[in-house]
Amino acid sequence: MTATVAQATQVYQVFIRASAEAIWEAITTPEFTARYFHGARISITPDHYDSRGPAGEVWGDAQVLEFDPPHRLVHGWRSLYDPSLATEDESRVSWEIEPQDGGFCLLTVIHDRLEGAPKTAVSVSGPGWTMVLSGLKSLLETGEPLIDYSA
Amino acid sequence: MDDDRVFKALADPTRRHLLDRLFERDGRTLTELESELEMTRFGVMKHLRVLEDAGLVVTLKQGREKLHYLNAVPIRLIHDRWIDKYTERHVSALAELKTTLEERTA
Repeated sequence: MTATVAQATQVYQVFIRASAEAIWEAITTPEFTARYFHGARISITPDHYDSRGPAGEVWGDAQVLEFDPPHRLVHGWRSLYDPSLATEDESRVSWEIEPQDGGFCLLTVIHDRLEGAPKTAVSVSGPGWTMVLSGLKSLLETGEPLIDYSA
Repeated sequence: MDDDRVFKALADPTRRHLLDRLFERDGRTLTELESELEMTRFGVMKHLRVLEDAGLVVTLKQGREKLHYLNAVPIRLIHDRWIDKYTERHVSALAELKTTLEERTA
């Protein structure tokens, strides 16, 4: 059986040559996220996760479950950017930033509790999270995004 | 962080096979992975270790179990750095020609 069933727990990890503070800022402020996260303007405060499309449309709206700058962030995930995914159950995204030797940080993203959101699981797997994290790494290390979402 | 480790890890058929198994379904224990391979537990452990060092496999503890997850980000980074650059139109045209010719002879 060749399966393309996306997993209910997905793990992504990347080394980024940047400080934990810089990574935290890039994850939580809309000016940064707009440049690597499919153009989404994401604001994360201690109690709320808000993601907006370029025209201000709501792409994500969820609770923040853990907020420990610049180390750990956990928030809910609802795929409001796509009507066919928006009705699925809320899942959960955890970000962990661990400083390493040599000016690097190890960033781990775990997207789990996707049992009730199989279409979202497919949507975020494959190029989904890997492209976001590759873009985040590029932006922080070179100052340039991989894809120009403003175009 | 280290392209060499990723290329070396991918340069072995058993390790690519392990990645394919994890791609189908990950979050698996060593025992589960071992049962699908004609190899000793020690051999599988050794290969998983190389994949872990390259960042292609990430382990998470769940209770007493260690679960192995596929991390596709290093492959994405290699793709963005090495593949995109060379996959211009003429390369895909050649790939198409190859497919067409192979379909004809099939």
